[in-house]
Amino acid sequence: MKLEWDVIVVGGGHAGVEAASAAARLGARTLLVTPDLGRIGQMSCNPAVGGLAKGVVAREVDALGGIMGRATDATRIHFRMLNRSRGPAVWGPRAQCDRALYPLAVRRRLEEIPGLRLFQDSVTALRMAGERVGGVVTRAGLSFSAASVVVTAGTFLRGRIHVGREDALEGGRAGEAASLELAEALEGLGLTVGRFKTGTPPRVDGRTVDLAALELQPGEDWDYRFSGYETVPFLEQRPCWITWTGDALKRVVEENLPRSALYGGEISGRGPRYCPSIEDKVVRFPHARRHQVFLEPEGLETTELYVNGLSTSLPPEVQLAFLRTVPGLEEVEITRPGYAIEYDYFPPHQLRHSLEVKGVDGLFFAGQINGTTGYEEAAGQGLVAGVNAALKVQGRGSWILGRDQAYIGVMVDDLVTRGVDEPYRLFTSRAEFRLLLRQDNAYSRLGPLARDLGLLEGWQEEALRAREGAVGEVRKWLEGSRFTAAEVNPLLASVGSPTVAETMPGVELLGRQGVTAPALWALAKERGASDAVPKDGNPALPLEELLGEVEVEVKYRGYVAKERQRARRLRSQEEFVLPAEIDYEGLVTLSWEAREKLVRVRPDTLGQAGRIPGVSPADLQNLMREVRKHRGQPGRRRQSVGEDEGKESVSRKAI
Amino acid sequence: MEALEEGLEDTIVAVATPPGPGGLAVVRLSGPHALAIGRALVGTRELGAPRVASLFGLRDPGDGALLDRALVTVFPGPASYTGEDVVEVSTHGGRVVPARVLEVCRSLGARQAEGGEFTRRAYLNGKLDLIQAEAVADLVEGRSRALQETALFQLERGLSRRLGELRDALVQVEALLMYHVDFPDEDEPPVGVDEVLEAARALEGRLAELLATAPQGRLLREGALTVLAGRPNSGKSSLFNALLGEERAIVTAIPGTTRDAVDAVVSVGGFPFRLVDTAGLRPSDDEVERIGIEVAHGLQRRAEIVLFCLPANAECDAESESYVAGLPDSVKVVFLRTFSDLARSREGTVDATGALSEVPSIRTSVVSGEGMEELQELLPRLAFHGRGRGGAGVPVLTRERQAEGVRQARDEVALFCQCLEWDVPADVADTHLREAAAALDEVVGVVPLDSVLDRVFRDFCIGK
Repeated sequence: MKLEWDVIVVGGGHAGVEAASAAARLGARTLLVTPDLGRIGQMSCNPAVGGLAKGVVAREVDALGGIMGRATDATRIHFRMLNRSRGPAVWGPRAQCDRALYPLAVRRRLEEIPGLRLFQDSVTALRMAGERVGGVVTRAGLSFSAASVVVTAGTFLRGRIHVGREDALEGGRAGEAASLELAEALEGLGLTVGRFKTGTPPRVDGRTVDLAALELQPGEDWDYRFSGYETVPFLEQRPCWITWTGDALKRVVEENLPRSALYGGEISGRGPRYCPSIEDKVVRFPHARRHQVFLEPEGLETTELYVNGLSTSLPPEVQLAFLRTVPGLEEVEITRPGYAIEYDYFPPHQLRHSLEVKGVDGLFFAGQINGTTGYEEAAGQGLVAGVNAALKVQGRGSWILGRDQAYIGVMVDDLVTRGVDEPYRLFTSRAEFRLLLRQDNAYSRLGPLARDLGLLEGWQEEALRAREGAVGEVRKWLEGSRFTAAEVNPLLASVGSPTVAETMPGVELLGRQGVTAPALWALAKERGASDAVPKDGNPALPLEELLGEVEVEVKYRGYVAKERQRARRLRSQEEFVLPAEIDYEGLVTLSWEAREKLVRVRPDTLGQAGRIPGVSPADLQNLMREVRKHRGQPGRRRQSVGEDEGKESVSRKAI
Repeated sequence: MEALEEGLEDTIVAVATPPGPGGLAVVRLSGPHALAIGRALVGTRELGAPRVASLFGLRDPGDGALLDRALVTVFPGPASYTGEDVVEVSTHGGRVVPARVLEVCRSLGARQAEGGEFTRRAYLNGKLDLIQAEAVADLVEGRSRALQETALFQLERGLSRRLGELRDALVQVEALLMYHVDFPDEDEPPVGVDEVLEAARALEGRLAELLATAPQGRLLREGALTVLAGRPNSGKSSLFNALLGEERAIVTAIPGTTRDAVDAVVSVGGFPFRLVDTAGLRPSDDEVERIGIEVAHGLQRRAEIVLFCLPANAECDAESESYVAGLPDSVKVVFLRTFSDLARSREGTVDATGALSEVPSIRTSVVSGEGMEELQELLPRLAFHGRGRGGAGVPVLTRERQAEGVRQARDEVALFCQCLEWDVPADVADTHLREAAAALDEVVGVVPLDSVLDRVFRDFCIGK
């Protein structure tokens, strides 16, 4: 057995998978260690990928060469584009996957990466060489060495599972052991620990549900792909069902509140506001008469359904009682009770933007260990940590995505700058450059970055090149297109736009509300005049999507330009580097609160300092002055990857 | 940003009281070396407890000469006006003592402060917001009670609070919008566009309302422009002097003495007036006088109030009538029958018939004082009628900079409404709300936390 590696990834969840895959794709000899190889890429909660903002992240991970989007396409059994009726910047692709097949699809793709090996064991300790990490020790007594270690422990660190008050037991996930030794080992490094909780709803036997009585929610008949690189055939698609809770459920929950782990005082960790348990909903929103419940298929080979909306820590018999008050579920049987889980996380202000732990060279954290929730959030962090773990070994500068480049960049910056006070989830409103960060332009934004870094395999690079060519062609066609009044007036009339008297450029028509690029394309195709009209029908390059990307850039160019301008302003502050050795406590011209926060976060740049809650513009002003005074010159600019080896750096390309 | 921060490492010093004879003068030091300079000045190691005045003998450390016996108070930063270490020395007044203390402070390394520099530092160190800093300037310079009250209200964060409320309302509209964007599948249906639009409209109205106080604020800061008009020798300048309370304009019996506009800001009934004495209006061959008359015409057309002077014993001729009739509607005219002491009876005077008969008329005499009280009551009513002083709990925009920010915010909110009406997607339209919030932040000079999501979570039941 080989014991020497470049990068070791601890954990095989969504963060671990992307970390291992990214490190190996960059050429690092990588080992992924996880307690159960059968559960690599396991969907612990809802078998779904994507949603608002999260769907964009899944795409970003794909554009950067990751696994998540490809595994989703290969195993999806239901798809919807959320917010399709709203603006292009907030479309959220969301897919239900086959829970059993998803991990296999992930595993298969991991095994295709040369230089990546998998090993089943539990990591119990870190090997240290002074303040540097040197490798890991496993329960089986093996000692692996590596210069970079990425820990993606999920909810396993001192995990405690609650099913009702009486029932707390150690566990990282239902039926799996918690990691106690690793939690102690990490705490032993002097890191601050926090405690969060999250929950999951019961799952039920589909044969005991009266589906005919429920509202059917069919998936969209759309060949949307999360992966722009790999084109797989889709599985058979399945619908979801919707039902509603009522007063009867409310009564059952209220009567049994003392038996809930959450309300009985058993749980001290804080849970996410946006993913409340049914206990939370009943207590916090007493005026709400009913709550929506989605019944989602677990897979093609099973009738089991996931009861989305009824996460709970009440005892199983109470869960059954309240479920049976819901229309359509009168005779339901539970297959797996819902539960709440409490776990340790390490407040992420202890990390750099590279997700390396401050003060422990070579140790990286990604995923729920950083106080986040969600598969996509975990995957995005895993990718960042994996890339930087490999770059570290290779002696290259670290790689950071800006807030104007990717939702992943927004998330990492939020985590290390603002910290978390509840499990962190992405929302579109967390991004200040929402119009720039769309699902449709993920490849234009991040593809070139991934290529330059060496993150893409040959076939991915090829697909990216094809896509770039196709987008260019669509843009060129649109910019050159012209439509006669006779051609375009019926379209204008149909969307309630004033008709025109003369021939109009397509770009100008697109500026009108209701006029879309696909509609103009259809007109041009009808005319059949020119070979320059882009072709459709290639599943790898869906024309609707390419048209959509160009359409947004044209239709909202004023707004897009405004965001770019704001992004540039932000960037000048991002380039003002704060020296690591600043004695913040001694800066008496800064407010007391600002000093305390700055000591805690130790920001890398002036821009980051400005985003710390409690640091005012006046504090920033004084901070800038102090830095200049001590250095006698303006902040040095950050270097790009490769330019300045071993130093904190950032790579930024025009979007 | 760059210009503001220059020279903040210096310790600055200034005499904070006006020069000249007086019981006390205050010399103020602020900056990193304020305490050291203070100690050198009193020649001891300790300066007394913070914020407690202690009596010391001040000496020039160079030759040991006694400068004064003075009260010295230390305000260690950040609990001081500027947020830095501050030392205040209350010396005896007069021209010599404070000047010598200042000189010694400078020899010890302090730099003479520029006008307003203490307040600028207070702003830069986060002790005051921008509006408060501006209010300090108004308080120091203010020449009327109305402005003083408005400034004090601003210093107490009255205007800042109102802007905070408006920003809050902006965040609320954005939260409605974000509920709609970030949580499409929730229990409660999305907030209708109508509801968002209604909230945005209400906000636009409130911004417009605040913006409408800007002319009032300008009046308070600059004084209501009040022009004395009338033919040469109609008593304009003596009236000007009477209102001013000092001989400012030269009063002679030679027609055309006042050839340039002469102005002063005076407080009448607690309100500020910018009083302008103009050249008498008459055809003139004198080049300089003609220019003076042109200036006067321009001023009269922009004025809040024109005091049209005509001697009480003079005829109300057609020329006067047509002059008054020719003024813009925005100008309020008061018809003053001057020299009323000379016209003992109304005999021989011709009553106004045209435009002059429709404006308030007062018989005045600077000699007997007739009509002066009436005039002093009328002026504030005309210029500030129904507006109150602004000070008592009503925020007023007193600076063009403030008005500009609020105007920008209002315009962005209006654009946002337009976007919603035209079905522009919410996430695109939202750009306008963010710009509006940024404009308001800039007015106050602080950037509060983005709290849209908190609002969403507080108000809606979120989550499956």
